[in-house]
Amino acid sequence: MRGPFHYLAGLGLALLYGFLLLPLVVVALASFSGGEVLRFPPEGFSLKWYARFFANDSFLAALMLSLRLALISAVAVSVLATLAALFYRQLPWRWREPFRVLVLMPLLLPEILTAIGLLFFLYRVGLGSSALGLQIGHIVVTLPFAFLSVLASLQQIEPALEEASASLGAGPLATFGRVVWPLIRPGIFTGALFAFIVSFDMFTMSFLLKPVGGNTLPLAVFDYLKYDFDPMAAAAATLSVGFALVVVVLVEKTVGLRRAF
Amino acid sequence: MKSPWRTAMIGAPVLALLFVFFVLPYGEMVAMSFRAPASGAPYGDAWTLANYGKVIGDPFFLEVLSRTLALGALITGLTLALSYPIAMHLARVSDRWHVVFYAFVVSPLLVGVLVRNFGWMIVVSFQGPLNQLLLSLGVIDHPLRLLFNVSIVVVALVHVFVPFMVLPIANALRAVEPALYDASASLGARSWETFFRVTLPLSLPGVLAGVILVFVLSISAFVTPVLLGGQTVMMMSIMIIQQLIGVFAWPFGAALAISMSVTSIAIIVALTLIARPLTRRTARWS
Repeated sequence: MRGPFHYLAGLGLALLYGFLLLPLVVVALASFSGGEVLRFPPEGFSLKWYARFFANDSFLAALMLSLRLALISAVAVSVLATLAALFYRQLPWRWREPFRVLVLMPLLLPEILTAIGLLFFLYRVGLGSSALGLQIGHIVVTLPFAFLSVLASLQQIEPALEEASASLGAGPLATFGRVVWPLIRPGIFTGALFAFIVSFDMFTMSFLLKPVGGNTLPLAVFDYLKYDFDPMAAAAATLSVGFALVVVVLVEKTVGLRRAF
Repeated sequence: MKSPWRTAMIGAPVLALLFVFFVLPYGEMVAMSFRAPASGAPYGDAWTLANYGKVIGDPFFLEVLSRTLALGALITGLTLALSYPIAMHLARVSDRWHVVFYAFVVSPLLVGVLVRNFGWMIVVSFQGPLNQLLLSLGVIDHPLRLLFNVSIVVVALVHVFVPFMVLPIANALRAVEPALYDASASLGARSWETFFRVTLPLSLPGVLAGVILVFVLSISAFVTPVLLGGQTVMMMSIMIIQQLIGVFAWPFGAALAISMSVTSIAIIVALTLIARPLTRRTARWS
């Protein structure tokens, strides 16, 4: 069984995983290049492209807008997703699946269609090309990610725990605060992180709804890539890779830490 | 304890948000596709069917639509071929290594599409690693121009969609009783027989979910064809956005978007109906 075929399969798998990671590794390596142009292997190591990135006003403004959008989305969506998940559990059985599908719709339908609908609608209600309109678009698209995360942690709670709390005389609010909330907090946190990262990287929605004179970081990188092809864009992109790594570690740590108890 | 008022209050914010900023916009898009075009404004007040007539009547739009669908089918097929071995590996890997390989699959998902596209731009650039490798192997004697064509768009999109295909298939495979493999082997099946008669049929629901997801995502892809295809790759989404942002023909852009959606929904329904007898047969086992 463990013949040459076994090693061939292992090599194939290594190639497949390599294919998945190759573009990310290449971007990160390119951003630390010491040369003036993108080439491989990079000429020496330096942080100068990061220095130039942070000295570039339009990139910096775009970074700030992206951070603000992502932060507000994460906060708004954690509240909304928690309410939605609690609502889901209180619904009669036959209404649960339709409600779940409704909340997940923005994830199931292509982002470009949702963005087009919002483009028309926001224009109609006088929010066209506004920062608020773009923020709303980000909230609608990131909501399903947080909802899935909160719902998953809510469904792991034994109903007996809440019944015990109620039979010991705690009202619904006290039961939520002292039983449900501590148990779903990691789920909410994870959901907020996903919402943050999805918003930070969102492209098509921002492209269609972008406010006058406001660029998000992905839009700024996109504009830059159309005309220049140098490691500064790689530095901007590596920030996004770095965020993703931080999120992976944080999720692993929080959910892991909670599991220990 | 479960007062209907309290339940309604908990649900109200989400339902209101989704109704106003999700359901109404889609309604607005359908309405927009029946509006008359206007000059000086994105759309006029009159109602018309002419936008759909223009979509159906013009061979150019139909050609782009069919090319987009064909490209979507190709990308979905390639993604499935690359994802299945990864999913099998992910479903069987030991607990100790699970986190690592799971992170390999999920971390590209957490990095934006734009960044991953940029990675491919560097890989295939004139002085990029791929050209350097081919030069040093002596396969070519001068760097190839590999950017701005359909092939690199397909490669980059397959790369973007592999995690979406791996995760549902791996989930379906993980739900399979390991005893079934042993039973198959002890009944004398060779490993390829076990694969085609046990593993593959039982993973079909996951395959179907992944195929639908990737097909929908690939025909609506926008950034990748624009960035890596340059001017050479025309797809539906690019054309729709040109109409909306470039020439401000909102009603026609809406009609194009809805034609694309209706066609893809029809394909998905057909696919589901074809696959239904196959998945129903395996439903008893999972």
